[in-house]
Order: sequence, then structure tokens, then C-alpha cells
Amino acid sequence: MATSSAPIRLSWQDPSTGEQRLPHLSPPIALGREFTHMPVDWQGQRVSRIVLNSGQVSRFHALLTWENDQLRLQDQNSSNGTQVNGGRQTDCLLNHGDVLEIGPYRITLLLRDDTDLGANRVRGDSVILIADPIPEVAPVTSAFPPPFFQSRQVNIQALYATQYPVEEVDYGALGAGLGSFVWVDLLRLCGVSPQQVRVIGLEAQPYARYQRLCLNSQIPAHERLRSNSDSCPDNIWGWPGYALREAWHDFTQGQLRSVGYRLWQVFAEPTFAETYTPKSGRVFASIDREATRIGWPQMYRFGRIRAIRQTDDGRYAIAYALGRGQYAFLVARYIHLATGYPAIQFLPDLQDYRERTQDFQVVVNAYEAHDHVYQALERQGGTVLIRGRGIVASRILQRLYEARQRNPNIAVLHLMRSPKPKGNQFQYARRAVSNHFELQPFNWPKACWGGTLRSQLEQAGPEERMRLLADWGGTTTADRGDWQRIVQAGLDEGWYQVGFGTVTRVEPDAQGCPLTFIQEMGLKGEIKLEANFIIDATGLDGKVKTNPLLDELVTHYNLPLNLAGRLAVTNDFELVEMRNHKGRMYAAGAITFGGPYAAVDSFLGLQYAALCAVNSLAQGRAPQLRSLHGWHSLAQWCKWARNQTP
Amino acid sequence: MTPTLLGRWQTRILLFLTVGLLLTLPFGLGWIGPGGTAFFAILFYLLGLGLGWDVLYIYLQKFRWDQDWPAAYQWLAALWEGLVIVLLFEAMAISLPGVDAEAFQLGWFLLHYMVVWVGIFLASQSLMRLLFLHWRFRGGQWL
Repeated sequence: MATSSAPIRLSWQDPSTGEQRLPHLSPPIALGREFTHMPVDWQGQRVSRIVLNSGQVSRFHALLTWENDQLRLQDQNSSNGTQVNGGRQTDCLLNHGDVLEIGPYRITLLLRDDTDLGANRVRGDSVILIADPIPEVAPVTSAFPPPFFQSRQVNIQALYATQYPVEEVDYGALGAGLGSFVWVDLLRLCGVSPQQVRVIGLEAQPYARYQRLCLNSQIPAHERLRSNSDSCPDNIWGWPGYALREAWHDFTQGQLRSVGYRLWQVFAEPTFAETYTPKSGRVFASIDREATRIGWPQMYRFGRIRAIRQTDDGRYAIAYALGRGQYAFLVARYIHLATGYPAIQFLPDLQDYRERTQDFQVVVNAYEAHDHVYQALERQGGTVLIRGRGIVASRILQRLYEARQRNPNIAVLHLMRSPKPKGNQFQYARRAVSNHFELQPFNWPKACWGGTLRSQLEQAGPEERMRLLADWGGTTTADRGDWQRIVQAGLDEGWYQVGFGTVTRVEPDAQGCPLTFIQEMGLKGEIKLEANFIIDATGLDGKVKTNPLLDELVTHYNLPLNLAGRLAVTNDFELVEMRNHKGRMYAAGAITFGGPYAAVDSFLGLQYAALCAVNSLAQGRAPQLRSLHGWHSLAQWCKWARNQTP
Repeated sequence: MTPTLLGRWQTRILLFLTVGLLLTLPFGLGWIGPGGTAFFAILFYLLGLGLGWDVLYIYLQKFRWDQDWPAAYQWLAALWEGLVIVLLFEAMAISLPGVDAEAFQLGWFLLHYMVVWVGIFLASQSLMRLLFLHWRFRGGQWL
């Protein structure tokens, strides 16, 4: 039994970043929105103050204390109250496994420390790096980049003196993924010639990595992405959107019913019709067409970037490896960083299981290649445990439903931390919920892309940004009719079950199958779940520290990170601390999350970041660049429509 | 496009004064229907009232989790805005500068309003995006 000074563990998922938090704390514990409004001492004991940054949380919301060997919760007259296991409480005693709901935060209390949870690991290593398509064969030698890269600024002559090839251009895009593509596409539309642009990355197709993550998470070419009709990476105007193009295609095929349905969707979504989303294969095909049109292959250079440095003449030098011991430098005045998600987030207990057992087959992450799971299930049946309740979990469930058509002896257990009777609240609105899934057409409320919420976030200070992101964020899935039907059929037929609780540990049984030990909510008992496979569908990790290249850059130039641990950028997506005379550096994508824009990792978000960056370049009179407005914009669109070089 | 208040106002003013005015010309000059300056006056009343309606619509948006405004809502709003004009001049027979309620012809008004509205809707769905790249990212602000 716990004694009056024993530490407890709180466990929750951060609603803005999706990270797992597992702090070990000694009560008294104060929970609230503002650090300074919570007491420093309580009855002579030092208080552990935990900030829950949300508009739904009061400045000092609740206090947890030991009282006669029992943990006591006292709500501090909070505006929105504290729920314990779904019921509102102002003063009560708490048990092991109870779930506190405070605003968008759902915090599980673990009083007995029999929990393994991989909690001793720092969160940072509970990720798996996204594998490179081409593994680096040659060992990373200390000879490259050369020693003079240790200095703050490098000399151009010194680069040439190394005898390695040096290319000098105006614009350099680092990453070569969709973020780079969208930026380069806009540069080309604004008049920059391909000779003045270089793109460095590991894959020639800008969507290669995105496509791989889609395929792994079971979205093949004919399945639909969670993206809007007018979020078109191949078309900055967003017109015609994918819905109109699909309708036109179906019209030429004589499928008139489908034409009508697509048009109705974009007209009435999301209130009167299911939100239109494009098929992944169509999106990739449209990017292929645009890549050819703008001369992407001429601008692309294969390479693994080793270091980014300022030069002493107001530019930047990029040192990169071409493989087989070959190296090169790129020198550019304007740099765009879009390296994407460095890692897949992995639940700590599952990461622990894999490390202990060295079994990478039965416990998998949804973003890893894991087709063997479905093949094995289709062959011999079995039970799958899904963790996480986002869009990936929905798609995995759909894939398992398809597997059940081939072998009905497949059962699915969906493990969630706590029930979800109602969704997040922001101002007057509340997010819809169905079968414990929070529903939202896209990964952020729609007004985050260009509406009221976008301008609100842009104007907010750093603390307030995190608060807004927590209120708007959280794990959601799309309200798709087929998914709703699958969940309902599964529940009715009994092959799909939802369980709630906190995983205390995962261990192999005698047959080598993973056994999940769960602390059920509000009950003192522990239950065991047996499964043949566990699929972790919790998400991707975008922390700068996880990416060795960015980590080195941040350390070398002492760059500030924002409160989400990503690169701190201005509203123009510039890294101002990297300014070098006329030289400018910009960033886009997941590495800028927590800044001026919420949906940074979406197609439209990448386009927004590119527009901001290119606008700022045009204001600074960057060479060859002409703002894309009015008739100039219309003329460029006509070239796009006719598939002519910009 | 998910509008903001400033975006709604800017878009409304621009589209009424370009597409709206252009499509009102044939009615005002009598190429279609009886002609008369009343068509222009009604266009300006629609615009003026509309700037007020926009404040209401932005308030209503706050009750939607996504704070968006589906295309279908644009049409519902158009029905409402047209209905108010009909109530004003036809049902309540109120004369205002430029519009004589006695001479108000419901049939021609409906045709004029429909043409103007569909023109504005189509332009807002296509041409605005092509001319103003930032328009859809700034809630409809084109300036």
C-alpha cells in the first residue's frame, strides 16, 4: 500500500503533439493552466505543479494530495470541472487506474508501481527512425564534412580546395519530399529558372516517402487519403480540385452517377454529404505530371545531407554524401528546409517488448511495413490488438475487415485508454463522437487552414499557441460511412470489441504471443489480453532532436526551439537566427509544428508555408522572382492547364 | 475557402462591384426585362445588407466545430438574402431611394437575383483562386 509520501505516476497523451507523458510525481500535485497560479507549498510540503495548457483548464484547476494513505482529489472551483471515470467530482478519493478528465486531457493515475510501461525510458527513444530507402553502406567517416565545418561560417575557397564538386545556385531545397516540391513548384511559377534551383534528397520522386507511409498504413493507390479536394500539391490555386477532376474523368467514362455524387460531395460537405477525399494514386499521378512540367529531374540531386553552414559571403553551404565515398557541396543564398517526420512514434511498452524479445513480427507499428500480419491472419485466423484511435486505426480496422472476408476467424480488440463520451470543446462548439472515436473531416478543424482559426493562431503568442493546439488537437478520425458500418457490424457480430484501460506491461506467453496486462479504469483488478499481433497506430514524431541533421544545426547555431520542440519560425516560416546578410533560410512541414500554423504537415499547409516563404523572398527582391498575382497568376494557371513549362 | 469576417466583406464587395455589376448591366439597360435603375439600386441594397449578414454568418460559424461554411450554406444564405429583399419591397411594399415598391416586379427581380448570385458563386469558386493566390489561405481577403 502506498504511504503518504509515495510517488505516483500520471499517464496521458499530449493533445497537441500526441506524445505520451509519464511523469513520476510525489503528491501534493497541482494541475492547472498557469504555473504561477498554482501553490508552491501545501501544508508545508512542496507541490509538484503540472501545466495543462488548454482554454478548458482553469489556472489552478485541481489538487491531488495523500490523505490517510488515500489519494484525494480536490477540484479548485474550476470553470469546467473535473471528471473522474466519466462522472463530475469536486472532492473524492482516487484509486489505481482512475482516469481524470480535465479539458482535453485524459490522465490515468497509477498509484501502485507495478507498472512497467517502458516508463524508465526517456520519451525521446520511444520512437523508431523512419528507415532510409537506401541504407548508408559506407561508414560515416569523420573526414566529411571537412574540419573547417566546425567553424560558424565556412569559406567558399576552402570548399573548392577540398576538390569535391561544388555547385552554386540561388535556391536550395533540402529534403526533396513534398515540402520541397511545393516550394520549388512555386518558385518556378514565380519565374525562377531550373538552373538556379537545386533539390537534395534521397528519392527522386517527391512523394516517395509519403507513398511508402501510405502503403504501410494500408492506403494503396485506389484508397482515399484524408485530404481535401482543393489541397492539390500539383496546383497552387487548388482549382480544379481533385473532385472536379475525378468528376470529369468519370464523365468521359460515362459514369454519370459518380459525376453527380462527386459534385454533390464538394457542394454539401461536410454537413449534408460525406467529405470528398482523393484517391492516393490520383494525387501521385498529378504530382508526376507537375514534376515533369517544372523540370524537377533537372533540379534534383541524390544525396544524404551531412551538414548545413553559413558561408562568409552571405550564403549557405550544404555538405552532402552521394554514396560510395563520393561527396559534394551545394552553395545557395536561399535555403528551404523540409525534411519531414524523422521518426515513427512508438508506445513505450511496445518498444520495450520488442527490445526484450527481439521479436519484430508480432508487435508492429502501423507505419512500418507489416503486410505479413494480414497474410498470417488470412491464412490461419487469430486475434489482433489495435492501440490508438486515430485515422490510421480506422484504416487498419478496414483492412482487417477485408481480411475477415477471406478468413472469418479473425477477432479485433481495440484498446483505448478511456471511453470518449464527448469530444473536445472550443468556444461554442464541440467535436462529434461516435463509438469512442472523435470525428473530424481532417486532422485539424477546417478553419485552421485558411479561416478564423488560422489567423487566431498566427496572432497568438507561444504559450497561447500551445493552448489553442491542445484545444483543437487530439486524435480524430474521419466520419466515413464505410468505417461506421464496419465498426457497427463488428460490434453487433462480436468480432470487434473495444476495451478501456492503461497497459501496465506487455510480455510474451509460452507460445511467443504477446500478453497485454491492463489496469482497468476504476476497478482494482488487472486483466490480461491475449493476441497474436499488436498494431500500434499512434502516429509520427516530428521532434527536431530526433533528426540528427537538424539536431546538429540547432546545436551548432544555438537555434531556438518552440514549445513543441520544433524549429522556431516566424510567421513567414523563416529561421531568422540563420540570416546571413542577404541569405535567408526557411522551413516547412512537421519540423515547424507549434509555430504560426497548425496543419503544417498537410498538402495545403505545405503550400501555405511555401507561399509565405516565397512572398517574403519576393519582398526581399530575390533574383528572378516575381510575385504571382492577378493576370500573372492567371497566365501561369493557363500554362498549368495546357501542361506547358512555366 | 473557410471565410473570416474581413475576407467575407472584401470578397463580397469585390464580386458585387465586378461580376454583380456586369451581370446587372443587361437588366438595367433593358436588354433583358423592363430596364431601369432599380436593378442597380437593388444590387447596392443587396451588397449593403450583405455586409451586415456577414457579421451574423461569422457568428454562426463559431457554433460549428470546423468553423467552416460549406458551399451549401452559401446557397441557403443566398435564399435568405433574396427573401429579405422580396419581403422588403413586395410583401411590406416599402419604397427606398432608387426602388419604388409600386414598380417592383417580383419575376424580373428573381431572374436578376438568380443570374447575379450564380455568377458570383461561380466566380468565388474558381476565378478568385486563379487571380488571388492568397485569397483562400486568408479567409477570402484578396487585398
